[in-house]
Amino acid sequence: MQEKMENQELDQFKPKIVGFLCNWCTYAAADLAGSSKMEIDPALTVIRVMCSSRVDHNLVLTTFFSGADGVLIAGCHPGDCHYGAGNYYARRRYALLKKVMESLGLESERLKLSWISAAEGNRYAEVVNSFSEKIRQLGPNPINKMSGL
Amino acid sequence: MSHSENVLIIGAGLAGMTAGLELAHAGKKVHLVERLPLIGGKVIKDEESFPNLECSTCMVAPVQQDVLQNPNIVTMTYSSVEKIEGEAGAFHVTIKKNARYVSMTDCIGCGMCYEPCPVSQKNEWEENLGDVKAIYVPCAGALPNVPVIDAQICLKLTGKEECSACADSCMFGAIKLDDTDEMVEIDVGAIVIATGAGNYDASKLPQLGYGKLPGVYTPFEFERLFASNGPTLGELTLRDSEKNPEKVVILHCVGREEVGYCSSVCCMYSMKFAHFIKKKLPDAKIFNIYSDVCVVDKNYQKFFKKVEGADTKMLFSPTIDGVKVSGNGSGMKVSYRGGDGADESLDADMVILATAVVPDPEVGTLAEMVGLELDRHGFFAVKDDVAGSVETTREGLFVAGTAEGPKDVQTAVIQAEAVVGRVMSYLGKVTG
Amino acid sequence: MKAKVGVYVCECGPNISEKVDIDKILETLPGLEEYREIELVVKRFGLLCSGDGKTFLEDEINNNGLTHLVLGACSPRDHDKTFIGVCKKTSLNPFLYKIINIREHCAWIISDKDKATEKAITYIRAGINRVLFQSALLEKKLDINPDVLIIGGGIAGMEAALSLAARDRTVYLVEKDDHLGGKAVLLGGLLPRQGGGPAKIREKIESVLGNDMIKVYLESELEGVIGFLGNFEVIVGSPGDEEKKDLKVGAIIVATGSGLADPAILEGLDYSKTDEVITSMDAERMFSKEGKISLKSGGDPKSVALIHCVGREEKGYCSRICCNYMIKIAGYLKDQSADMKVTEFHRGLCLPDKADQGFQKEAEGRGVEFKRVRELTITGTNVRYEGMDGKSEGLKFDMVILAPALEPSEGTEGMADLLGVPLSESGYYQEIHQTTNPVATSIEGVFVVGAAHSPKGITDSMLFAQASAGKILSQLIPGGKITPEIKVSEILEAYCTGCGNCLDVCVYGAIYYDEGRGISVVNEAVCRGCGNCFGSCPSGALRTKHFTNTQLYEEMREAIR
Ligand SMILES: Cc1cc2nc3c(=O)[nH]c(=O)nc-3n(C[C@H](O)[C@H](O)[C@H](O)COP(=O)(O)OP(=O)(O)OC[C@H]3O[C@@H](n4cnc5c(N)ncnc54)[C@H](O)[C@@H]3O)c2cc1C
Ligand SMILES: Cc1cc2nc3c(=O)[nH]c(=O)nc-3n(C[C@H](O)[C@H](O)[C@H](O)COP(=O)(O)OP(=O)(O)OC[C@H]3O[C@@H](n4cnc5c(N)ncnc54)[C@H](O)[C@@H]3O)c2cc1C
Ligand code: SF4
Ligand code: SF4
Ligand code: SF4
Ligand code: SF4
Ligand code: FES
Repeated sequence: MQEKMENQELDQFKPKIVGFLCNWCTYAAADLAGSSKMEIDPALTVIRVMCSSRVDHNLVLTTFFSGADGVLIAGCHPGDCHYGAGNYYARRRYALLKKVMESLGLESERLKLSWISAAEGNRYAEVVNSFSEKIRQLGPNPINKMSGL
Repeated sequence: MSHSENVLIIGAGLAGMTAGLELAHAGKKVHLVERLPLIGGKVIKDEESFPNLECSTCMVAPVQQDVLQNPNIVTMTYSSVEKIEGEAGAFHVTIKKNARYVSMTDCIGCGMCYEPCPVSQKNEWEENLGDVKAIYVPCAGALPNVPVIDAQICLKLTGKEECSACADSCMFGAIKLDDTDEMVEIDVGAIVIATGAGNYDASKLPQLGYGKLPGVYTPFEFERLFASNGPTLGELTLRDSEKNPEKVVILHCVGREEVGYCSSVCCMYSMKFAHFIKKKLPDAKIFNIYSDVCVVDKNYQKFFKKVEGADTKMLFSPTIDGVKVSGNGSGMKVSYRGGDGADESLDADMVILATAVVPDPEVGTLAEMVGLELDRHGFFAVKDDVAGSVETTREGLFVAGTAEGPKDVQTAVIQAEAVVGRVMSYLGKVTG
Repeated sequence: MKAKVGVYVCECGPNISEKVDIDKILETLPGLEEYREIELVVKRFGLLCSGDGKTFLEDEINNNGLTHLVLGACSPRDHDKTFIGVCKKTSLNPFLYKIINIREHCAWIISDKDKATEKAITYIRAGINRVLFQSALLEKKLDINPDVLIIGGGIAGMEAALSLAARDRTVYLVEKDDHLGGKAVLLGGLLPRQGGGPAKIREKIESVLGNDMIKVYLESELEGVIGFLGNFEVIVGSPGDEEKKDLKVGAIIVATGSGLADPAILEGLDYSKTDEVITSMDAERMFSKEGKISLKSGGDPKSVALIHCVGREEKGYCSRICCNYMIKIAGYLKDQSADMKVTEFHRGLCLPDKADQGFQKEAEGRGVEFKRVRELTITGTNVRYEGMDGKSEGLKFDMVILAPALEPSEGTEGMADLLGVPLSESGYYQEIHQTTNPVATSIEGVFVVGAAHSPKGITDSMLFAQASAGKILSQLIPGGKITPEIKVSEILEAYCTGCGNCLDVCVYGAIYYDEGRGISVVNEAVCRGCGNCFGSCPSGALRTKHFTNTQLYEEMREAIR
């Protein structure tokens, strides 16, 4: 009985994902995916930042605490960061964040870091679509369940 | 005629764009003339650039945007310089803006007009690997993002049929089928030639099979095949089948003996190709046949070493001249002379020819018009090499990038910046 | 004052209007609970970026007295600048406007119209929320000093000085040696494509010394530097001299050239001081002074081995110029005696200029032998090598000339430290962008040229020098101003503990430690606003303007509401 309900819930589950995209590469890739009219899952909402390095722990955790089911951080490929090395810092912070999330009881797969260049419109679409699917499988952010949202 | 502080730049590759932006920054008015409908030059054909394998679009798109949005730069795409009169400090230039049939101001680049167009042809910009309609942009992400109609095949413009499918589909009234060529006249103090270069025509070496064997590729064919905004969306499939190549031979120095110089970039881009293929097709067997290795920057050898062995097997041949590519059933056979002088051969299903960088095919016309000498290889000659190679043999005319000779992007950009310095001092001198 | 937000949705012809129900957006927004406290003006327009659209917006801003502006339209990459331009014509600060990309991010990627509309509403709500927390920022203009400091008086430094002086810039040229000209003036000759030879270099020295705009400080070095593009203060001094010169300049060019690797780094090299083994530079000096190359023991050599690439593997890079100048040295030897046996041992020739292969062929025509080798050992003047065919052979020569790799000049590390410019793995200075911005460094206003940048010959050294001059001439106009980035980071004094974490992450060296106050401070003229420092601060003292926590949080909260 309970299982059934959960399944029903899952069917209606509309994941909310925030994508923090760096201005120079991935945001441009998202534009390219758009102008190439690729079909992309509406679950993700884009927030533009200048560099992936701006996405610090607090921003990600606050996003989860505010109820997001998934967070994507995407920026330039290693070596391509417009500001030299920002994405290396992003990667380091990401590794740490994953640990923090686990310790908070949040599945660390809810956070994804991806390098997507400005020419990779198709890759952007792929990443967003597969990540949205993944979050759909994971179900709602447990924080939402806890607070009864 | 009074002197002008304005500058004409011919060619909007990285060299031309860099020079344009910096001169504009200094308050100079820049006229940037590009013969193609898009700016960016050769580099935007590359998915990634050596040595850091940086995404070329990410690297160049901000530069392209800056150029298009800079109020001091007048960019004229799909245009050509027709006449140059006057003298250093006071040139009078006539430019032909070819009819584009699409308004640069009204079009917003939505791309709704391509689909309805009933005629198509091979896309030359994509090295003929894909198709485009008569109304088209050369590639996704092209800047300026405004299509052009090829009057050679458009039904309406060739008079074959009363078509207006594109115009009907455009909600912005941007398509002007009655557009005509336009002549623009400007006065400038200095002229910069940044028209880039071409690649050696591989079909001149019939023993290499280009044009006959579908598995043989030119370097830019390969660049576009690999590009994620290219005709296959980056899927490495062979020309005549949907299959991925399994055995690839990359042949360095193609045409080097014939042209009489080393092109200084082929080794690096050949290694880049090997790395690309390995990344996408980890099971592919890759061989680079080379005789000399030219990896001139402080970071190039490092890249070379990384790829050598790990991604490709380097095969030394004392001379590339003896290499032959022949059909062999559904595949190919590459025969070459080994390091010890013995004849060797390899099976391959893809052969990439690293062809020499040669003068642009239309360079002669341009040289004549601007009144400049070409060197014995057909590149623009510079006044005196010790004095730095950006001043041409005619006062007030400067050259940057591969128009002066083969080089990597870094050196092309350096020359462009050097031109800026020269032009600034020069204009200071002539206009007082 | 009550906020009055103008929200305008662009139809973009059919692009947005057919895929998104704009009327539904216009109906939904005003009724929302969250906007009770503010006034909302919502409208649609055909094409906002058109001339009509811009006028329309300008009128709307003025007539409605808008405090904030939100546009539901296309990508900021396409039209942010267009609408910033519109704001600038009005009294609305451009930082109180935001463009929301509902075309690329909704209309074009979601085929279901209801879903696309819903998504567009989410985006616009997030945008409105963000804009309400944005602050007006003002463009700053800073005065600049157009003068330039050049460190190193080799060919690169001199060329940069002359290019700048030609456009009336005052140049301070600091050279640690007692003469100008660097390595180039020591050479016995130049390449044929460099027509003119060493006399040309001496002419350059004369023009530099005779130029009133160029102040040359010999036997001097840079001792201190503070400031940023347009406003550097530097201290120049000479060892042993108490008196220091304080100079104010707008830019600094590093042209400290290169050194030569110690041949001892080559494995398989075994010779003593008395053996007839010299370096290429020794050969150049000898030829320059005596017009010929002689044995240490006196007399002419009858056979000479020229060894390329000494130390190339060890250094990890090719020095670019050695193949060329070794062919030139072979030419000196052949001039001296056409019968001399001259053999070049190389590992693949590097002839990157269009004229170089012809030059090499010519040498071959004069009987210079080129031997490509895999391995090589040198014992005294005996050369043992393994050819490309795998066969080994030994040859004895009267003389051996080695071409040691170029390497960063002595003192490069110290200089890099002083200037705050990082070094690359190869030990050379790291440029800000290898391909698209090769003379600039991460410290804006500091440029690296010539052989100090990477191994290179005279022509390229001069080109790099001219390139730096080009950049400076276009960036620093006398009487002009520079407008630094506005969206910069700042450190709130009350929160900063002075831990210094942020100093380490800033690539641009924009943050410094203020000893007096015990806190870190962002130099706003240098910061580019990447936001990297933000994540490094454990105390919440950092704020990245226009990308503050509040702004991003507010945008995010609406995005997932
Ligand atoms: C296969 C290949 C791969 C390469 N890969 C790399 C790499 O990875 N990294 C790297 O550093 N370098 C690479 N290079 C070298 C690089 O492509 C060049 O250094 C660079 O393109 C030079 O830029 P440019 O502006 O001088 O010329 P181009 O990029 O060729 O631009 C010249 C422009 O001028 C226009 N033009 C020409 N004639 C006229 C005319 N008469 N009127 C108006 N416009 C005209 C052309 O249409 C073009 O847009 C590669 C080269 C090749 C061949
Ligand atoms: C054997 C040999 C033969 C060569 N032949 C040729 C040739 O034929 N053609 C060619 O094009 N190139 C040739 N080269 C290369 C050529 O010498 C260099 O390209 C050129 O000298 C580089 O010039 P530069 O000004 O960058 O550096 P340098 O010539 O090295 O000059 C640097 C100057 O900076 C000064 N300096 C260093 N540190 C400091 C400091 N901290 N403070 C103040 N001053 C400082 C030095 O004293 C020196 O005067 C040859 C090189 C060698 C080794
Ligand atoms: S011409 Fe019209 S339909 Fe075609 S891209 Fe431009 S605006 Fe769109
Ligand atoms: S008029 Fe017809 S044929 Fe010509 S470009 Fe338009 S749609 Fe194509
Ligand atoms: S925002 Fe970036 S550039 Fe500015 S101080 Fe912080 S790390 Fe440095
Ligand atoms: S990291 Fe934060 S607390 Fe530490 S010095 Fe920087 S601003 Fe101050
Ligand atoms: S700018 Fe894209 S990751 Fe730093």
